[in-house]
Amino acid sequence: MAKALDTKDAREAKPPRGSADSSNNSGDSIAAMLDANGVLTAEAERAANISDEELRTLYRLMVVSRRLDQEGLNLQRQGELGLWGPYAGHEAAQVGAAMAMAPTDWIFPYYRDFAMAVCRGIDPGAIMTIFRGLTHGAWNPNEYRFAPFIIPVGTQVPHAVGFALGCKLDHDDTAVLVGFGEGATSTGDWHEAMNFAAVFNVPLVFLCENNQWAISVPMRQQVSGRIADRAAGYGFPGVRVDGTDVLTVYAVVRAAADRARRGEGPYLVEALTYRTQAHTTSDDPTRYRTEADVEPWKSKDPIRRCAERLQARNAFDDAFAQAVSEEAEQRALAMRQHLLSAQTPHPASAFDLVFANPPESLLREKAEFIEALEPERGE
Amino acid sequence: MSQFLLPDLGEGLEEAQLVQWLVQVGESVTLNQPLCQVETAKALVDIPSPFAGTVEKLHAAPGDTIEVGKPLITIAEAGATAASASATSASANEDGHGPVLVGYGTEGPAQTFTRRRRTSSATSSATPPQASAAATDALSAPPSPAHGGGAGGGGASASPLVRKMAQERGIDLTTIKGTGPGGRIRVEDLELALKAATSALPSSAHGDSRRALTEGEASHRLAEEAEKRSEGAGGGGLAPDEERISTVGLRKAIAARMMKAATTIPHFTEYSLFDASALVALRERLRGSSGFGEQKLTYLPFFVRALVEAVRAYPVMNSRWDEEGNAIVIKHSIHVGIATDTARGLLVPVIRDAHTLTLAQIAAEANRLITLAREGKIEAKSLTGSTITITNVGAAGPVDTGAPLINPPEACVVGFGALKPRPTVVGESVQVRPGAWISISCDHRIVDGATAAQFMGALVQHLEQPEGLA
Repeated sequence: MAKALDTKDAREAKPPRGSADSSNNSGDSIAAMLDANGVLTAEAERAANISDEELRTLYRLMVVSRRLDQEGLNLQRQGELGLWGPYAGHEAAQVGAAMAMAPTDWIFPYYRDFAMAVCRGIDPGAIMTIFRGLTHGAWNPNEYRFAPFIIPVGTQVPHAVGFALGCKLDHDDTAVLVGFGEGATSTGDWHEAMNFAAVFNVPLVFLCENNQWAISVPMRQQVSGRIADRAAGYGFPGVRVDGTDVLTVYAVVRAAADRARRGEGPYLVEALTYRTQAHTTSDDPTRYRTEADVEPWKSKDPIRRCAERLQARNAFDDAFAQAVSEEAEQRALAMRQHLLSAQTPHPASAFDLVFANPPESLLREKAEFIEALEPERGE
Repeated sequence: MSQFLLPDLGEGLEEAQLVQWLVQVGESVTLNQPLCQVETAKALVDIPSPFAGTVEKLHAAPGDTIEVGKPLITIAEAGATAASASATSASANEDGHGPVLVGYGTEGPAQTFTRRRRTSSATSSATPPQASAAATDALSAPPSPAHGGGAGGGGASASPLVRKMAQERGIDLTTIKGTGPGGRIRVEDLELALKAATSALPSSAHGDSRRALTEGEASHRLAEEAEKRSEGAGGGGLAPDEERISTVGLRKAIAARMMKAATTIPHFTEYSLFDASALVALRERLRGSSGFGEQKLTYLPFFVRALVEAVRAYPVMNSRWDEEGNAIVIKHSIHVGIATDTARGLLVPVIRDAHTLTLAQIAAEANRLITLAREGKIEAKSLTGSTITITNVGAAGPVDTGAPLINPPEACVVGFGALKPRPTVVGESVQVRPGAWISISCDHRIVDGATAAQFMGALVQHLEQPEGLA
């Protein structure tokens, strides 16, 4: 902590941020990558030097993710999952941002960031067991550098700030990405995290997946003005990007992560998209919005937009599309099989997950619990 | 062959209503192919098939209510397809219990951990031999089971409620086969056993009784049996001359709403007849005029306009009672609900901000909403948020007037009866003039009779001198 305070003191000697000449800070070089619609300019695209193969990988991951999302919905409708939160419409934001981070970087997801987990190589069938109620976390975060899904809104944001501060104190070049929805920006946790991130100048990219609906609450009832602009209030830059364009998200988050690694501090990326499906399978969106509200966003489908970009580069053909689609089918089936063959844990395993060295009283409770669960004699 | 049981499609839902089948018996289906549409209390949902194979049986018809965990469809699975993995998990065994519900599931036989039952001899010994009192009087004693082991049946698995009911009715639970999870005896099982006992009663009464039935006792017995039959109907059994209509969805919602209106709002109703001569003439003149063109022009838009004007004069009629704050909340926007009869039942589409609309705009909006409601295409948001409601009691039949129920949480509902020629006193003579009855029901917590009467006066005045409405 002393080190961090030193750093802060050192920075206080510099001119304060957010003043009129803040255009000098490197945040604006990221803003300069974008046109008025928040889309990567042709010039910035050339400078970013993203290969056709990279873009094809992003496309492939988005198509696979979309198919897995559909299978999640199917499995819930078939009684195999307790709940499913569809992420259709988020593919560009999630895949673009997750793939922009280096493999050694860390990601702190929110509960809808399924595609990010897929990008990190976590078995989708294993992730699914969470939504079947079989486990609290299906992967070792250290192994994948991917923190657990967080269900309470916004609590992962301060976790990520603390973790990023640790990375900074360790003097390694790890950057951290934290995902959240626009609804999370209404929580106190988020504001505290934004403030601390700036004060301690941590290597963190805030990714707001703004899908414009916090369950049934529309964006206009959550935020006055733009979420991206809020970063300035804490003393660091932010930008709103077209969250349906994977190339833009990829390039911008990569630039923000590089910036963080150079020690230039946090950056806020607001990826504007739309939640085309229900909030979860327990939600009926027709009660608060109409088909007409959703329609304009269907033409901004992230997968279609990526296909168009590939076509413009002459890097897209039917054989490629077919192969990707087949891969998506196979992975959906594999996910289903993994999920349905997953073992139900012993109920008493709930006693094992809090204490490394459980106290005597807890062990006694566990023994009583197991005894109470024993099958009746003679049955 | 695999049965697919209806899963919990939301969080903690107990039933769903089948809207339509998308497949038929004999049809081959693929994994995830949509099978049917069901409506839950939360949403209209497509159910994808968990198996690939051939449809063997559909277990419900459109309109049926299906309990969560009960069979929906039986599919003969196609060979050893990749989908068969799912079959083992979602399919039911013979008993109809399977681990189909994740998190909220019915307890299936596959479950390894069943709670150990408390075989408490204490329960049965502590049970008073309550049946003995009844046994002295064959009239009120159900047949033999009561004479067997202790009433209540300590060994059987049942909830405290069921045990108490069994004791009260002198039924030995060990003689009942439970259909609940792990053979647990449910209230329904007890009722079924009770019904069987009741129907067996007449012969046993004759055999065991040491005295003849008096006439009064016999009729009392008959009435009791009839009552039990009707209770049985609620639990699933039906008399031959009865028909059961399930009430999921809209009917259930109407039932709950009207129960709330009738039991939580202190209503009073006032009536008045108005002379519609001028209104009829105005409507004739406006019909086909430039503002309305081809559009259908009924009296409804005039009623809405008159209501808006009367509310402007008496804003308290456009309010609701705040239960928590014990306060009256007056709404400055007037959103008029139009009670509309549809094939699905009563719907109340809402003309929003009626106070900002012209007669022609109201006519257009009302036509649009009513058409959508009748076609079943209206959006949920067009059915909420009304602040005052109109019901056309004369629209469906030769009804002059009625005492309408308030649409909670509103303060007032206005009913318009059939508009037709009526004997009307004009000066000293009686003339035949068009007229209609208006009835208004108010929440007496908010409005007193005098205010309602003044509001009625304003309504009548605007309808009798309607020039300002156009």
